[in-house]
Amino acid sequence: MKSDNVIYDSETQIFNLSTRFFTLYGFLLFFFIILCIRLWHLQIIQGDVLKVISVKNRVKQKKILSPRGYILDREGRVLVDNSLVLQLTLNLQGLDPKEKEIISKKVGEILTLTPKQINDRITKSIVLNGRYFPAVIADNLTIDQAYALKLLRIEHPLINIEEFISRIYPYGASGSQLYGYVSQISKNQLDNTEVKEKNLLPGDMIGKKGVEKKWDEQIRGKDGLTYVQVDAHGRVADIDDVILEGSNLEPIRPKSGDHVMLTIDLDIQEAAHKAFQRDDKIGPRIGALVALNNKAEVLAWVSEPSFDSNQFVYGISNEDWKQLIQNPFKPLRNKVIQDNFSPGSTFKPFVGVAALEKGVIKPTTYLDSPGYFVLGRKRYHNHTKNGHGMVNIASALETSSNVFFYKLAMDLGIDEMAKYARAFGLGQATDIGIDVENPGLIPDSQWKLKNRNEAWQKGEDLVHSVGQGFIDVTPLQMALAYLAIGNEGPLYQPLVVKKILKGSDQSKVLKEFKPQLVRDLSKVNEEGFKISAETFAAIKKGLTQVGNGDRGTAKWWKIPGVPIAGKTGTSQVRAFSNDEIYKSCYSRPITDRHHGWFVGYAPADKPEIFVAVLTMHSCAGSSGSAPLARDVMEAYMRKYHPELFKTSGDNVVGL
Amino acid sequence: MDYLGPSENKRFDFNFALIILALNLVGLINLYSASGGVNAVGISRLFWQQFVWLGMGWTVFLVVTFLNYNLIKMWATQIYVVNLMFLLAVIFVGKKSLGAQRWVDLGFFRFQPSETMKVALVLVIAKILAHRIRQEGMGIKDLITPLVITMIPFAITVIQPDLGTSLLYLAVVGTILIFVKIKRSVIIAVLVTIAVALPVVWQFGLKPYQKSRVLTFISPGRDPRGAGYNSIQSKIAVGSGQIFGKGFKKGTQSQLEFLPERHTDFIFSVLSEEHGFVGSITTLALFGVLFILGLRIAQNTKDPYACIVVVGLMGIIFWHFFINIGMVMGILPIVGVPLPLISYGGSSLLTTMASLGLISSISYNRSLFQS
Repeated sequence: MKSDNVIYDSETQIFNLSTRFFTLYGFLLFFFIILCIRLWHLQIIQGDVLKVISVKNRVKQKKILSPRGYILDREGRVLVDNSLVLQLTLNLQGLDPKEKEIISKKVGEILTLTPKQINDRITKSIVLNGRYFPAVIADNLTIDQAYALKLLRIEHPLINIEEFISRIYPYGASGSQLYGYVSQISKNQLDNTEVKEKNLLPGDMIGKKGVEKKWDEQIRGKDGLTYVQVDAHGRVADIDDVILEGSNLEPIRPKSGDHVMLTIDLDIQEAAHKAFQRDDKIGPRIGALVALNNKAEVLAWVSEPSFDSNQFVYGISNEDWKQLIQNPFKPLRNKVIQDNFSPGSTFKPFVGVAALEKGVIKPTTYLDSPGYFVLGRKRYHNHTKNGHGMVNIASALETSSNVFFYKLAMDLGIDEMAKYARAFGLGQATDIGIDVENPGLIPDSQWKLKNRNEAWQKGEDLVHSVGQGFIDVTPLQMALAYLAIGNEGPLYQPLVVKKILKGSDQSKVLKEFKPQLVRDLSKVNEEGFKISAETFAAIKKGLTQVGNGDRGTAKWWKIPGVPIAGKTGTSQVRAFSNDEIYKSCYSRPITDRHHGWFVGYAPADKPEIFVAVLTMHSCAGSSGSAPLARDVMEAYMRKYHPELFKTSGDNVVGL
Repeated sequence: MDYLGPSENKRFDFNFALIILALNLVGLINLYSASGGVNAVGISRLFWQQFVWLGMGWTVFLVVTFLNYNLIKMWATQIYVVNLMFLLAVIFVGKKSLGAQRWVDLGFFRFQPSETMKVALVLVIAKILAHRIRQEGMGIKDLITPLVITMIPFAITVIQPDLGTSLLYLAVVGTILIFVKIKRSVIIAVLVTIAVALPVVWQFGLKPYQKSRVLTFISPGRDPRGAGYNSIQSKIAVGSGQIFGKGFKKGTQSQLEFLPERHTDFIFSVLSEEHGFVGSITTLALFGVLFILGLRIAQNTKDPYACIVVVGLMGIIFWHFFINIGMVMGILPIVGVPLPLISYGGSSLLTTMASLGLISSISYNRSLFQS
């Protein structure tokens, strides 16, 4: 490899090379200066900024969940509970499609979920909370599942097992419209300004209906915040280091939610819920029931068909939601306050009160009640072809004579009837303060002129005197109005929330609610009238005969030793022709069948429990609704007056 | 000639050995911290493995020191050719590692021929150039053989693809050429060629991930979770160390695994984070002393071949050092280049120790040429 033109001379060559070292030292110095300047720039100039970033890198906020307060019954029994469950969450940040596929497969094997189901949960979470919030893949993990997933997490740190305080509704569908339900707040709701003020975060559970919604702020409590050190993969890392060193982050203690004690009596509630599940010829009932004590405290609340609140806690599935929405009988509606029905014959006592107070009749006035009443060219029918003969106010209520009340209406007119009905709170919101109420309507001639632009017709007086026509009420209004009759005067605002108890100490009462009297009808009211004791006595006599008289429309439903008083009623879903009118109800298609009412109280002489029942498409109040009311009253009497049942020993009642 | 054994004229450079030992210790202490962290159990396997590599490294160092380097000069061409064959073999049988084929598995040891090629290149080019040194600098004719010899391994590593290593070949050969002096006209010609070739190489020569690294280097915020992540996390680690550092084993960036490759390529960010500006400057100074001592050995030797070899080998270590630290501090793009004597890894350590052993041997035998 020697080149010919280069003569090798060691002395001169070494000399030449030694002069070249100057260049090398120059380069070395140059590059070292570059490195030193950069080091100084990063560590001294930018040091403070980068230090803060390094803290942010590893410190993550972690929510300390606050348990929601319980919903309790009047005796402190838990109606709505909490439970600590384990959830599987998946961090969507940094999740590539390949990793997602692997995780779906492996998690699916452990939890027996298909990749599609897992994918649905992820999609749903993205819709609800966006990409930066971990998706909940499964709730309620068993210990075995949680353990298997913990092992899986070693290789797939994006999955996480987290504790979660879950809402539990131990009584399922019983009372669900009243208690309501919770579910995760959605992104849309978070953007809502009203919600913004409450400092809610994605993933928070909020009350969406009933008591859970109305008292959400008290029940929810306040989540705390703590800070954890995480590694680059987002896993919580404990190393011997003061986590918050170099940061000014203060942890926030959680505040557990306050408990809401309802006036509900669990025993009565369960009896009421059970009463709808019948196996007679009408079958399980749909409709509404509300039971009050004599201070108008709600003891039981049923709206059927119902739904299981538990299915909302982890997000309701599309199929379940479709079923709820498409059900023609609307399970989500709270029929006790949100649906209006004509009261039918249960309206008659208020017409009776008006007639007695206006002097149209005396308690002893007897009127003939044949099969029909003629006004102009039109016949207005009794519900029996042959009528009831000569009846006074009490026996007219007992037999539910239409003609008797037609005759009263002829003298009273709608405006007088409406005045007294409204005095009993009918057609007006009860201000119970749970969800939206639909107040219904007690019409008068002014109303018709204004809203229908027509004059009131005399025939309409007749129709309205038996609780049909424009009259619309809710079951709760009826129960309250009958309470005013039974107790001879007091009309209450209903009470469902009794107390608010401190979350951390149940014995501490934060707020207590007392029954509020709207008015006492036995005293002269602002419109200058009152209802006399004689009138109440006459009406109550009639109501007692309904349950106990020979011709009583609810005489089949008795509690041994405890007389029931009340009134049956039929709320017509449509008008029938003269031919159709006496046709057997059960031969009609179900949606053509009338609704049945029963509103009453027990014991008849000294009322303690008031029950209003409306069963939809059950044909008649006597067979459709009265037995349900009887069951609830009996449950009440057995609980609070067990001594009355000691001798009889059996609860078998004749048909 | 006497190829083996000491004689009275020979002297072992203890200062040189001590500075190497000092850097080894810095490396070990730092590796102990870097191999710990949240997921570690006890003293890490990596630490003990590096301990073994160090033992082997020093054995190699001492053996090579007391060898007569003329033996290596004699075999330089053969070493180069065998190495070249291994390099070719890698393309066909090499193991995939970090997206590129770089290893030959010899059963007991995974051997990286592109690593040893740097040394072989220095040995063979020094042998050629030693006879062509001229006062006025070398011309094109003198450079043809060295350039061909460089371009063959360069091309192979580009194909692999291992862009970092191929650029290192150029840097090392370039360092030698500047040292032995070449004509100004040649330098200008080379610069013009590079200026023309660069856009062409960018368009057709680079793989997408390589382009992405360069782009990310220019603007790391472009993809903070992806390609720019390493660079950003490394800068955070270095910067957050501030003046005195976070303390031994207390670097959160490294212990919590925010730093990628923290025991190999990003070992210096662990050091900077935990020991701050003071520790980092001290380490740079140790390297500075190593380079100065190396260059002094080159200056003191009378043999032009030995002189070029020392400069070339120091060049290899220097460029590794500069590129690694430049990358860690975010002034150079991320290329997989370890920090000599500090990073974990047998291949790098053994090659470095062998090179240093050769320099030490040249120092030890410096009077040989005169006798």
